[in-house]
Amino acid sequence: MTAVVALQRYGVLAVGVIAMVLAANSTGAQTMPIAERIAQCGSCHGEDGNSRLPDVPSLAGQPAFFVMNQLFLMREGVRRIEVMTPIVKELTDGDLDALSAHYAQLAPKASDETIDPAMVKQGDALAQKLRCASCHLLTLAGQDQMPRLARQRVDYLFSTMKAMRDNQRPGTDTQMSSIVAGLSDADLTALAHYSASR
Amino acid sequence: MRFTIARRGWVVAAAVMAGAVMPATAQQTGMSPLDLSNPAASRQDANLRSFPVPPTVTPLERLPVGKLKLPAGFKAEVWSHGHPGARTMVMGDKGTLFMGTRLIGRVYAITTKDGKRESKVLLQGLTQPNGLAFRNGALYVFAINRVFRYDNIEDKLDNPGDPVELTDKFNLPDTVHHGWKYVEFGPDGKLYVPTGVNCNICEVNPGIHGQIRRYNADGSGMEIIARGVRNTVGFDWHPASKELWFTDNGRDWAGNEGPQDELNRVAKGMDGANFGFPYCHANGIADIDIRRPNPCAGVVMPAALLGPHSAGLGIKFYTGTMFPKTYQNAAFIARRGSWNREKKFGYDVVVARTQANGTATIEPFMTGLLDEAKNEFAGRPTYVLQLKDGSLLVSDEQNGAIYRITYAAPKGGKN
Repeated sequence: MTAVVALQRYGVLAVGVIAMVLAANSTGAQTMPIAERIAQCGSCHGEDGNSRLPDVPSLAGQPAFFVMNQLFLMREGVRRIEVMTPIVKELTDGDLDALSAHYAQLAPKASDETIDPAMVKQGDALAQKLRCASCHLLTLAGQDQMPRLARQRVDYLFSTMKAMRDNQRPGTDTQMSSIVAGLSDADLTALAHYSASR
Repeated sequence: MRFTIARRGWVVAAAVMAGAVMPATAQQTGMSPLDLSNPAASRQDANLRSFPVPPTVTPLERLPVGKLKLPAGFKAEVWSHGHPGARTMVMGDKGTLFMGTRLIGRVYAITTKDGKRESKVLLQGLTQPNGLAFRNGALYVFAINRVFRYDNIEDKLDNPGDPVELTDKFNLPDTVHHGWKYVEFGPDGKLYVPTGVNCNICEVNPGIHGQIRRYNADGSGMEIIARGVRNTVGFDWHPASKELWFTDNGRDWAGNEGPQDELNRVAKGMDGANFGFPYCHANGIADIDIRRPNPCAGVVMPAALLGPHSAGLGIKFYTGTMFPKTYQNAAFIARRGSWNREKKFGYDVVVARTQANGTATIEPFMTGLLDEAKNEFAGRPTYVLQLKDGSLLVSDEQNGAIYRITYAAPKGGKN
């Protein structure tokens, strides 16, 4: 009952706090407290989960399963990102759940990059042809294993799609590689501007 | 109830002789066109998206073994669990079951001690290590284009050490989509390896993609056994004829009804035959996007259709003595179940009864994972493996589990 009242009073903020407390209690291991961990993540991904650093993704509003799954695959060594490796190694399953719940409830904000309206228009047409919304939803908010694209950083969207096209991005559904196969860098740039603008 | 699928009328004995060449005009008659009745089915639609596979353990009490339905006399039990992403299964000489996965990138070793299973992560961090084969004490691991051989693996499960890398010898394409492998040694001692097409539907370089190849175990002596194969991740050889039979997954984004997935046979003397991709699908359906005149000319028709978007993966011919005699030399096929279809379909194990003329009939065997009314699934069967005692293992990727199916003649009944 207390939890329900808290949820009603403080809204989504409470969800993250409760998830953090539950996760911290359930692991029991000698790990970094989750609040410290979130501060560590925030130094690159933004305190509010919205990145201001080139090529570093925003995590605010990402589907919880997506963040959990990607952290899991980084910890496994399937998806290898040098700067993330020492960090993810320390994460417990409880940390994965707490971090993914935390970022899922943060509000995504538009990137500070310049978004080109002509590119947006071009990307919109291409996105329809490629059926992006079937998986990422019409809002491009993402669902389950498929990430939010809306309000993501343009540079990160571009470099990720490029890596998928060039078979350099393990840890993702291979359908993405097939969908972006054969697209030019200009196509990918247009898709990135469109997605970020949503 | 367990035969509801059969009543829906998709069970098809292929009308066309496999191995025979399809006349160019035959797709005009007796063939179902691609279903274009629902325009949304080939456009953006959130009901047509793929589903996540949990990387985390499904607890024993949440495994859907209680839902499984089998013919009279058959029983299913949990054989092993706690290994997320469970897919391919190969048995070592000393009784270790090796299990391959896709996204999670692990290879598991499952051993039996005092009648209980223990599973451990043998290898990790690989890219889609679905292709496993075992020969002369060595485990072969195919992860997209990378190929590793772990010699005497069953003596060093705690520390497999560095493998012999055979990647350059096999020289497989590094494209990831449909690049995860099913591999197996054939009765000829050769290692069979497919190269799936790196798209849903497209023109591919037929010299690289859309093939089933065979190699010597060291990666030398490559020969092309089949062409125009979109994505086969399951095959086996008929115990009597020694002919290769393989499942093949049909294209997506062309409607709910198909084109249907296929069960194919490479008939004797037909090595290198063309199975149709990208121009000709299922039992002679011309593609709607990649067009050319006489798309089905020279294309080998399937032995049977496996249902729309059903995703037939693992196939094994049954040679044990535990099951009734009617299952001798019949093939069990695991169907992972649809994603690109509004009404979910598959999520079961079927039996293919093959005929001498190269056709086959398909009938249900293990059902119950699909709730048609709710349009929900509880598990995804991916591969099958016969144990020495004649029981059948079925892997469930969604729940990271293996079920064992046994048979005992019902009281008063005859085997």
